[in-house]
Amino acid sequence: MIKSKSLKRFNQIVRRSDVLVNVDFSVLLATKTTMQTRESTRVDAAPNRADDTALLQMRGIVKTFPGVQALKAVDFDVRRGEVHALVGENGAGKSTLMKILSGVYQADAGEIIFKGEPVRFRTPRQAQDAGIVTIYQELNQVPYLSVTENIFLGSEWERGGLLDWQGMHQEARRLLAKLHLDIDPRVPVNSLGVGRQQMVEVAKALHHKADLIIMDEPTSSLSVREIDDLFAIIAELKAEGVAIIYISHHLEETFAIADRTSILRDGRRITTQPASELTVERLIQLMVGRDLAEQFPKEIAPRGKEMLRVEGLRRAGKLHDISFSAYAGEILGIAGLVGAGRTELVRAIFGADPIDSGRIYVEGKEVRIRSPRDAARHGIALLTEDRKTQGLVLLMSVRDNMTLAALGRLTRGLFTNARQEQAIADSFIENLAIKTPSQQQLVMNLSGGNQQKIVLAKWMATNPKVLIFDEPTRGIDVGAKVEIYRLMNELARRGVAILMISSELPEVLGMSDRIMVIHEGRVAGFLNRDEASQERIMELATGMAAAEIERSKLFEASVA
Amino acid sequence: MSETTISAPGERGETLQVLRRALAATGPLLVLLLLIGILWVLSPPFRSPTSLMLLGLEAAAIGVVAAGQTFVILTGGIDLSVEAMVSFAGVTAAILIAGTNVAGGQIAFGISDWQAVLIALTAGLSIGMFQGLIITGMNMNPLIVTLGFRSMLLGVSLVWTRGAGINIQKGPFLNFVTSTIDLFGLRVPMPFVIVLVIYFLLWIVLKHTKFGRYTYAIGGNETATRLSGINVDRVKVFIYGISGLLAAVGGILVMSRLQSGAYQNGTNMTLISVAAVVIGGTALSGGIGGIWGTLIGVFIIRVVEAGLVYMSVPSNAKEIVIGAIIVLAVALDVIRRGDVKWLRFNRLRT
Repeated sequence: MIKSKSLKRFNQIVRRSDVLVNVDFSVLLATKTTMQTRESTRVDAAPNRADDTALLQMRGIVKTFPGVQALKAVDFDVRRGEVHALVGENGAGKSTLMKILSGVYQADAGEIIFKGEPVRFRTPRQAQDAGIVTIYQELNQVPYLSVTENIFLGSEWERGGLLDWQGMHQEARRLLAKLHLDIDPRVPVNSLGVGRQQMVEVAKALHHKADLIIMDEPTSSLSVREIDDLFAIIAELKAEGVAIIYISHHLEETFAIADRTSILRDGRRITTQPASELTVERLIQLMVGRDLAEQFPKEIAPRGKEMLRVEGLRRAGKLHDISFSAYAGEILGIAGLVGAGRTELVRAIFGADPIDSGRIYVEGKEVRIRSPRDAARHGIALLTEDRKTQGLVLLMSVRDNMTLAALGRLTRGLFTNARQEQAIADSFIENLAIKTPSQQQLVMNLSGGNQQKIVLAKWMATNPKVLIFDEPTRGIDVGAKVEIYRLMNELARRGVAILMISSELPEVLGMSDRIMVIHEGRVAGFLNRDEASQERIMELATGMAAAEIERSKLFEASVA
Repeated sequence: MSETTISAPGERGETLQVLRRALAATGPLLVLLLLIGILWVLSPPFRSPTSLMLLGLEAAAIGVVAAGQTFVILTGGIDLSVEAMVSFAGVTAAILIAGTNVAGGQIAFGISDWQAVLIALTAGLSIGMFQGLIITGMNMNPLIVTLGFRSMLLGVSLVWTRGAGINIQKGPFLNFVTSTIDLFGLRVPMPFVIVLVIYFLLWIVLKHTKFGRYTYAIGGNETATRLSGINVDRVKVFIYGISGLLAAVGGILVMSRLQSGAYQNGTNMTLISVAAVVIGGTALSGGIGGIWGTLIGVFIIRVVEAGLVYMSVPSNAKEIVIGAIIVLAVALDVIRRGDVKWLRFNRLRT
């Protein structure tokens, strides 16, 4: 019953999605909800029914990493021929759970029952052999090898000790045909578009006779057309009894194709419900677990003098004539679609990327910025979107990371001043409420929220005038997010100009005094806090007319 | 929320980490003491003060070279040119002192030894920095650049000497360098004292200067360091400069001891220096390690070599043992990083 109903809706949406551009609608819908009811956040305590159709059962899965308990006794089950959506905020534990299932990680406790038998996968290969195949967000392909070679990688057919090319090409062709793909299996995969590469992964899963396919954000880099195709194929796989675990931030997709939806939050499974019984509002509520006002503790600070002015910034192919100002006490949100040039813009201001032309003024004085070093000297700081690869030296201690950018000022003569460094680290650990056993702890052992605070401390130690945050709360759990927001308030109050890039529109709307929207490397417009809304931002970000956005509200149409 | 769960596993991790760090720090030292103990018991001739003195002397040149290598490896790079630099610096100084050109042909000048040494060291520093400039400026792989310079420096040494050693008479400066200090009846070779002084200075640099901190930071995460507003390229140029300079110092020590500048003076020193660094606990990937471990690593290798001699192992077989030690050292590095699945118990990092 449920199945046929959701399938119908699914088909309806597949058809509708033709008119859509590839926009993250989940965020568009997120703030439409005010989310004031809190009773809804209670944990579903009902035990898992072990019904006959259960393909997979995970029970009491626990996983601890240094500094964080990623999974706290999670139960999760999948039935044959089911599309099971797994949703949750960043850091909720989705990826960890799936990595345990696919043999990348081993659980600290708990059991996995697959096809009626207890299993324990020590390597991805074992999971694959058992019939669980994962299609990762970043494709795991060898770019220069052919489609056939990629499909058969690790399970090549041989005849008389030599590779059986004919047989393999034939089989590859059969698999591709099954997916309605017109691809020559002899071409290298990197000659295909991202969408088709994804399909090759699906073909590979079919080749491994997968009973369960895990799709981790499969649509993140697909066009509308390709999403369409993918959904059609998922429907066919379902019909053949293949189960699919579907992870996506695009909530409307999960409504489109899922039979059931499980929600994870802070390492716990909050509930599993038939998708037809959920609404987007309810889903977000369950995911976030708190209402918006609590989530974004915005304080308005008095707007002071101009701290940063950018005039006519250009970089061929990336940035086109960008001009704006940021003021003391202000949080200037920078919104835009992925790839619109937001990160490129702040990297250019920070001197991390070269620019073709443009002027930058700090406190009214023109400055020449050719390297991050120049930027730091002029009081500009950048918290990069990827903490681990660009923000922190994971192998160094908390203290050494905190003083890294300011070390030039912490030296006495030739030597570093250990006492002063200690004092600075102590004060930051206390003021930013950083949870660490000691200053000497290696930052790699801390949680995402604490790591982000350390990056923030590193820049605060330099007394910056302009602080740029690129995705400040990515991969941080909810409680730590609020703490980061409070620190942003505090910095604004002290007269720092803050630039904040965020892909999460609720965050942009919740924390910004003013919002600059970037579209294809150009400033599409500015919105004041009181006039900003998701619709206005998306309008500018996509270059779409308001009416079209209205029309393309996929989800609302589909549930109505 | 992970914020609240940090304390429990964190604290346990902390004590474990301290333990592991202590093990990582003292491990090589324990191995060294063990080796000395074994040799002490098995080989009576090893117990003489002379053999200890000899050990210090043997460790001197390679010790200085390995110190420079430590800096390079800490930043995640490698310097394969050091052995050629040892030869080159020795040859340069020898030619300048002897006033002898190829094959004994007398040329017009011979200068005093301290001047010759100064010139050779300056050459080492500048050539090292030049390599650093190429590596950073053109974003080239240090492996290739330093391998190329190894060939060039060896080639120059060969051309200048025509394959023969250039013999010198030591002047007052080199006499001082090769002298001994009487310490409680033990004649401590001056080269070893020089090594200790250099190591102490380098330890100060690594521990208590910006430059040292940046060295670790670059090895740990070069991108993050650059984005912290640090001039990474400049630090790296100096790192290769230091390596070149210290290799040249090593070259002078070898040359003064042999009283001869020859292109073979540095043979094998690159491999041994890298092995010593890794044995001493510095990660080949950079960011972790220290200078004293390297000195211990040098001694471990030298004691093993001495042991082979005292055990009357034919010298031709020496190469086999040294090769095995090097592979073992790298295996150790991988194990330390926890990259060997079936050896997970030995994780020292996470």
